[in-house]
Amino acid sequence: MGTNLLTTAYLGAAILFIQSLGGLSSQTSARRGNLYGLAGMVLAIGATALNPSVESFTLMLASVLVGSGIGAVLASRVAMTAMPELVAVLHSFVGLAAVLVGISSALAPHEALTGGAQVVHLVEIWLGVAIGAITFTGSIIAWAKLKGSLSGRPLLLPGRHALNAVVALSILGMAVPFIVATQGGDLATANGLLVGMTVLACILGVHLVMAIGGADMPVVVSLLNSYSGWAAAAAGFMLANDLLIVTGALVGSSGAILSIIMCRAMNRSILSVVFGGFGADSGAAPAQAAVITGEQKEWNIDDVAQAAAKAREIIIVPGYGMAVGRAQHLVHDFSKILRGKGVNVRYAIHPVAGRLPGHMNVLLAEASVPYDIVLEMDEINSDCPRTDLVLVIGANDIVNPGAETDAASPIYGMPVIQVWKATHTVVLKRGRGAGYAGIDNPLFYLDNTRMLFGDAKDSMQKLVSALKG
Amino acid sequence: MKVGIPRERFPGERRVAATPDTVTRLQKMGFTVLVEAGAGAEANFPDAAYAAAGATLVDEAWALWSQADLITKIRPPLPEEVQHLSAGKVLVSLIMPAQNQELVQQIAARGATVIALDQIPRISRAQKMDVLSSMANIAGYRAVIEAANSFGSFFGGLITAAGKTRPARVLVIGAGVAGLAAIAAAKGLGAEVRAFDVRPACKEQCESLGASFLLLDFPMAEGAETKGGYASTMSDAFIAAEMKLFAEQAKEVDIIITTALIPGKRAPILITAEMVDSMRPGSVVVDLAAEQGGNCDYTVPGEAVVKSGVTILGFTDLTSRLATTASQLFGTNISHLLSDMGGATNFRVDHEDEAVRGALVLEKGALMWPAPEPVRPVAPAAAKVEAPKAALVEAPKAAPAKSAGKAGHGGHGGGQEMGATARNVATLIAAALLAAIGLNAPTDFIQHLTVFLLACFVGWQVVWSVTPALHTPLMSVTNAISGIIIVGGMIQSGTEKVNVAAILGAIAILVASINIAGGFLVTHRMLQMFRKEGE
Repeated sequence: MGTNLLTTAYLGAAILFIQSLGGLSSQTSARRGNLYGLAGMVLAIGATALNPSVESFTLMLASVLVGSGIGAVLASRVAMTAMPELVAVLHSFVGLAAVLVGISSALAPHEALTGGAQVVHLVEIWLGVAIGAITFTGSIIAWAKLKGSLSGRPLLLPGRHALNAVVALSILGMAVPFIVATQGGDLATANGLLVGMTVLACILGVHLVMAIGGADMPVVVSLLNSYSGWAAAAAGFMLANDLLIVTGALVGSSGAILSIIMCRAMNRSILSVVFGGFGADSGAAPAQAAVITGEQKEWNIDDVAQAAAKAREIIIVPGYGMAVGRAQHLVHDFSKILRGKGVNVRYAIHPVAGRLPGHMNVLLAEASVPYDIVLEMDEINSDCPRTDLVLVIGANDIVNPGAETDAASPIYGMPVIQVWKATHTVVLKRGRGAGYAGIDNPLFYLDNTRMLFGDAKDSMQKLVSALKG
Repeated sequence: MKVGIPRERFPGERRVAATPDTVTRLQKMGFTVLVEAGAGAEANFPDAAYAAAGATLVDEAWALWSQADLITKIRPPLPEEVQHLSAGKVLVSLIMPAQNQELVQQIAARGATVIALDQIPRISRAQKMDVLSSMANIAGYRAVIEAANSFGSFFGGLITAAGKTRPARVLVIGAGVAGLAAIAAAKGLGAEVRAFDVRPACKEQCESLGASFLLLDFPMAEGAETKGGYASTMSDAFIAAEMKLFAEQAKEVDIIITTALIPGKRAPILITAEMVDSMRPGSVVVDLAAEQGGNCDYTVPGEAVVKSGVTILGFTDLTSRLATTASQLFGTNISHLLSDMGGATNFRVDHEDEAVRGALVLEKGALMWPAPEPVRPVAPAAAKVEAPKAALVEAPKAAPAKSAGKAGHGGHGGGQEMGATARNVATLIAAALLAAIGLNAPTDFIQHLTVFLLACFVGWQVVWSVTPALHTPLMSVTNAISGIIIVGGMIQSGTEKVNVAAILGAIAILVASINIAGGFLVTHRMLQMFRKEGE
């Protein structure tokens, strides 16, 4: 296969990837989008395999088969509730691959470069490996946090900003001796420096994500998504491969946009998320938040079932609690019964509900909730005042009225679903504790709010039986 | 600060500008509320209820006018009331300054401040204080009730042992708030409802309430796009087509409800004497524009007349006939307005507040009306919809400023917030960087950089259009796609000789293929689940 043909094949693959992302603009074209992506990938791999510089297939084939097997098993086994973990672990693989390709490229460069071109190539390797390593370990920590193996609490070492700065500067600084050593032919020193830097970058990745609190996880996952793209783009620069560059740039922008969307939804700046510790930046601030007085009023299953049967407009606000309780199928049964009786039941999704952008949409889709009754926060907020009943299932901060009224609240200014404007709001909640962000919620004490304590799945099960009976 | 609620002295006016409920709201904002004895009697709010809500009852009317700092009432003040408005007082009521210029001059001479509720701009934020909408809603509902009262048959069709009745046919002209309320009420009684409006955009709203929308035998777009005043806006051909439609409909329908107003002008005649004569005896025409001269030739404002067996209702007090609810809604609108103006403690006439500035007619006697047009970018598409509004329609509903809201939302922390200076500096730095790269970097690198930056822009554009519901599939598909790094692994491991570099490349291939297979498969699984209702 000639070089020109290879280039055009790559061009075709790049276009298919763009089409793939474009397809996701609506649910109807999304499946086609995924196929475009797959086709682009097959084209790219096929063209590379036929490339004359590839001389042997043995290692390659074995790796592809084993890797695809593992991937297929992971993908078909994963529960939809565990999607955040899967996404995080896949990010780490991209990071790892970028590190490996970078080191490999340093060990065995394809063209003998000299002078300025060589310096540029070495810098590309250096950056590619650094970004890859940060993505790799950062994603592993994010995965562990999402899985619950690590606590969601931010780890805040004293002087952590200084520590990060020192590590980042030494990573950059070590590039100089690396280049000098490589140009001087001292490969042992050069490789040693490269490996040393990789270790440092790995530590930086761990430390960066350890300092981020659990509530910021949707942003972290999107940020790592972005990093994995930049790592691939950097690999493209070092291998002089335009397809890698294009694809990396697409993925990088995609992750960046998701991060921006998530940050806006939480009214936080990206910098404050990246450098960590929700609420911890300002030390004593949470203590000054308005003290809530009053008491929480409870309803039992029958009260809720009766209110639901009498209502004409119901909005269901799912949160992470629904995911944890795996209650989405029962929630769907509940809404299906009511819709069958002519009640207009709809779902309201907050952009940061769950631990991943769009997490709730996926769970509801899994339970066969039709997507046309699942609305975004902005679409449904104006309907809240004429809603008879809102069911908040395992969500807390995203329905906190304090975000609009209490300037001292750590989440002040974050857009929230205005459930308190409905005639009645029922909050399904495991116990009386505070939300993920550790903030008490004045919603629970309002006159028109009723609490239904218990596990989400268990409560929904009982509600469905009550409605049927 | 004292708010005074006088009794309405206009003949036949039964509403009152505050109810015990809204008195409580006003007090919560810190106002002291004075209520004239008997003010709410006709709206079924006895004095005792006001007293129980904490208001101070004032027996002597003019004592209330002199004690209160702010007077809020419904009708424009009568001459004797103007005499009791002294300098520095604030009057909040319906004024209609265009029609009542003499009244405005008289109040100006007294040195008072006047907020005209009818001039509050129709923006989303001001909807909560829009009394015209509240009242139009009531008038539309009541128009149907009055029509039913004068109509000799059911509205809904019935099949009974004593025979079958067909449903009444109702035509509603003008689909503003009153028109839509009339459609809903008539539909609720079981009638077959047709609706007409010159704005094609109303079709959807009418249909959402169950009315069928009549279309002119005339290209609507042409009618909507001509500019200028009413006569020139609606070409003769357009008006002819419109009248032909009404003439045909008059023969078919039982009830006609007209709601066509032109701000500041006499209402247009839409239902001519001949059309009424052609209607079935027993039919009813309700003319909601009666106070502005009426949409029907036969209309006598304030009266019910019978011509050719057809009853023409020209009542001008429809809202007063629902005095209890009308007062409650009016009072709530007022309390929202006063709350926006700062409550009792921070009460001020804020010129920066678009709603208050629009409604401000006099400030301490100085004429402030009409307010200057607020500077606001208007999309060309929106302007097109505005044009025909002046033609034949009662005040339209405030358009939900969704796009404006979105734009505002977009401002949170995105690039938009970056100051102009910062942006200039960033541009300069970027330019300098590009120049430096251009001067020093090798050609290959520059080519790759070109590709890279262009791809970033493409990605940026494409990904913003991804629907939020698909953000998780977006992440998993980008996971799969970033597995493209497998190409790098292949290049490194494809050598004949198996060395460390090749093995590292092979491991890279392994992990990248996990991504590719896992990413695409899981995306597929997820997308399979997104189904529409019934799909």
